[in-house]
Amino acid sequence: MYAIPTLFGVSVLTFAIVRLSPGDPIRIFTFGARDITAEDIDKLRHVYGLDKPMPLQYLDWLVRLVHLDFGQSFIYHQDAFQLFIQYIPATLQLAILALVLQLLIGVPLGIVAAFRRGTWVDGAIRVFGVVGHAVPGFWLGLVLIIFFAVQLRWLPTGGILTVGKDQWDILDRLRHILLPAFVLSLTGIANYARLLRTETLDVLGQDFVRTAHAKGLRERTVVFVHALRNALIPVITSLGGILAALIGGALVIEQVFSWPGIGRFTFQAAIAKDYPVVQAGVMISAALLIFSNIIRDIAYGVVDPRISVK
Amino acid sequence: MAYPRTGRALIAVLAASMLVATACAGNTPTASNAPSGSAAASAAGTDKPQDGGRIISGSISDIATMQPVLVNDTASGEVTSLLYATLIDVDAKTGEPKPGMATFSAAADGLSYSFEIGANVNWSDGKPVIAQDVLTGIMATAKSAKTVRKSSYTTIKGFQDFVDGKADSITGVAIDSANPKKLTVTLTSVTCPALLNIANTYRILPTQVFGKYVQKANKPEDIDNAPENVNPTVSSGPFLFQEWRKGDQVILKKNPTYFRGAPHVDQYVFKVVANTTALTNGLKTGEITYSTIAAKDLADMQTVDTVKIQKYPQLGYTFIGWDTQSTNDGAALSDKRVRQALAYGVDMDAVIKAVVFGEAVAHVAHHVPVQWSYPTDTSSLNPYKYDKAKAQQLLTDAGWVKGADGILAKDGKKFTMTISTNSGNTERETLAQVAADQYKQLGIDAKAAPEAFQGLVTKLTTGDKTLDATIIGWSLGTEPDPYSIWHSSQIPDPAKNVTGFGFTYFKDADMDKAIEQARTPSNGDCSTAARKKNYDTFNKILNEQQPYNFGYVPNTLAAAQKTLQGWNPAPFSTLYNVQDWWVKQ
Repeated sequence: MYAIPTLFGVSVLTFAIVRLSPGDPIRIFTFGARDITAEDIDKLRHVYGLDKPMPLQYLDWLVRLVHLDFGQSFIYHQDAFQLFIQYIPATLQLAILALVLQLLIGVPLGIVAAFRRGTWVDGAIRVFGVVGHAVPGFWLGLVLIIFFAVQLRWLPTGGILTVGKDQWDILDRLRHILLPAFVLSLTGIANYARLLRTETLDVLGQDFVRTAHAKGLRERTVVFVHALRNALIPVITSLGGILAALIGGALVIEQVFSWPGIGRFTFQAAIAKDYPVVQAGVMISAALLIFSNIIRDIAYGVVDPRISVK
Repeated sequence: MAYPRTGRALIAVLAASMLVATACAGNTPTASNAPSGSAAASAAGTDKPQDGGRIISGSISDIATMQPVLVNDTASGEVTSLLYATLIDVDAKTGEPKPGMATFSAAADGLSYSFEIGANVNWSDGKPVIAQDVLTGIMATAKSAKTVRKSSYTTIKGFQDFVDGKADSITGVAIDSANPKKLTVTLTSVTCPALLNIANTYRILPTQVFGKYVQKANKPEDIDNAPENVNPTVSSGPFLFQEWRKGDQVILKKNPTYFRGAPHVDQYVFKVVANTTALTNGLKTGEITYSTIAAKDLADMQTVDTVKIQKYPQLGYTFIGWDTQSTNDGAALSDKRVRQALAYGVDMDAVIKAVVFGEAVAHVAHHVPVQWSYPTDTSSLNPYKYDKAKAQQLLTDAGWVKGADGILAKDGKKFTMTISTNSGNTERETLAQVAADQYKQLGIDAKAAPEAFQGLVTKLTTGDKTLDATIIGWSLGTEPDPYSIWHSSQIPDPAKNVTGFGFTYFKDADMDKAIEQARTPSNGDCSTAARKKNYDTFNKILNEQQPYNFGYVPNTLAAAQKTLQGWNPAPFSTLYNVQDWWVKQ
């Protein structure tokens, strides 16, 4: 139930940060309008509700927020919420594929490293873990684009779909999503590899594993039934938080790969000082984050009965 | 924000992250300098145009709307200009008005204009484009609460009364009772920019679609939130709307009924990418058919043998604006001699090399060479050739003497100066740095200060007196009237709630008079010759007084696939002949 006060706190912070940053949106979008009079500008300010005192504007916004009314975009002249949710599917596709890649690559790497502890395989995986963590996503993205798209022409340079292709052309979509999803997943792969390596080593050293060995169980049974099951618990519980982190981290990747998702949309709205869109973006993202945290807490309880949600 | 070809002059060039100079830009005499480009063009001359294929135009920002009344950015302007046609066009090379959907004539007293829409001009639903559609566009602008275009029509008789709800119709717009394609627009007073404001605009709307939003009982929201604003159903331009995939692409298909003939290509796709790097990558791989590129990417693009490049001076300039009433620096900038010294003291050719890789021409007045309003006799303008000795002499004359620390000082006050510009625009940040370095050599304690565009714009237009010098750019339109930048009434004054673009605080009675005479001549003479005479005076005063260091006119660098034929971007428009473009298979 902590979600409500948290969201309230987010609303105050969002509003304050967005409104107190320098620049007047009306000035910005009338900068190119020739001969516009001060009177016209005052009228526009009134139309957009920017002529009231700041606390009143906040209260107005809060009241409408409860009804899921985020106001109209200054730039698009459309409902900010309706606009924003149109960009969610693109970001979700990216985040979910990145998550899948993290698990599919990161988890086996960690386990292999643990079982080959001290060998060159372990060393290589650990180096990859450090590098994967250290490489900036935007840089790697640019390098991959130049190599795979511009030089080799195997993959497109960006975007979500080739111009002229059908919306449901899955193969074309895959070609577009491959590089951004990989770059987005890289940090996670490194994280999971490290986490799984530690957890697996930890579990392997515990009594019940030794007991299982002593019982004369086959190595395979010990590893898959006893050891890994326990080592994977933190992975399952991390899923909720990871998805939220991926959505947040997608901003940079979306910008590099021209991916039409919420990160890029919110970023551009922030530049244009499109208050309603920025506020809607931050609030919805915060709600998603809180929601996924709740899921995570519930998952903890399910996987490990010692923890429960009160 | 540029709205191409609308006669909406004076458009501030936005931060690089938001700007795509797709339309109006260029130079009169020689459009194509790139050897590859001209070779391809001449080879194409012998080919027969092929139908089919698509054009993919690259942009770094998405459109916001397709309602001409609400358009306020370059991207939306480009797409709207493909969906709607104008009554009057301007020549793509010279900017002179010429017939579009309609022919036109001005009354002898300059108080009214008559238009006759061509008999063959129809909407895409088969209905003829009629005078009523012009009125619908004007009424929609009057009704809208969110448009920034009302000022285009304030000189039309009865417009304000309609806006204020005092009248049911606009008395100054008279539709011929015998011919529904003819109308006469009457003004309250002679105003030269009115012709282009009223007729060189895409705000000619299909009454069968938008008529229901502009009736007396309609509220502003009805037109501002009309579903057809984002899903236009009926068009008069070369293309029809098909689909808008937000943040990614806008797909247009050819309009078979376009009055200048159906386009050769089947589709025109407006493709949104993240930044200029993505643009150049897309051009290299062929994912983008044509786009403008940044100067920094030119050398790279020239190595791509599938791409041709055209360059021409922009319809705009990048400048350093001085606060001529600044008190921050011992009031140095209020002295004409100091401002002149700041012009002589910068090696603009070296700056152009450093900042835009040589892709610009030094500039010394307001109007740019491609405009008819630019002085024919350029000898009337001082070119301010780089002359450090002369700069130092002028500073000495003005009483500024170097102290022991090498910094100029006068009456115990040091000459300090901060050159602000919008952060994130690498070109302008470099310019600020290079200029500051050169001014330091004159003994001025100059430094560069990048600042967010949003804050900068607000300060400039509201009379915030904290800026000494600001680097920014103007994008000029088809109508050369400089009133909103240079008339003394446009100087911001917070005390009187006056805002405007006169952020140099410079005023000159003779200059005001010249601007007024070219805008609202007392003798009613709006001829180019008469206006040009006044603009000569105007430019000469600015050249002499130097309220700006007028900086440079950058080249527009346009790149296209060599397979794209008929593409010949010109100073005032890129898309003027889009129906003739075709893609070589």
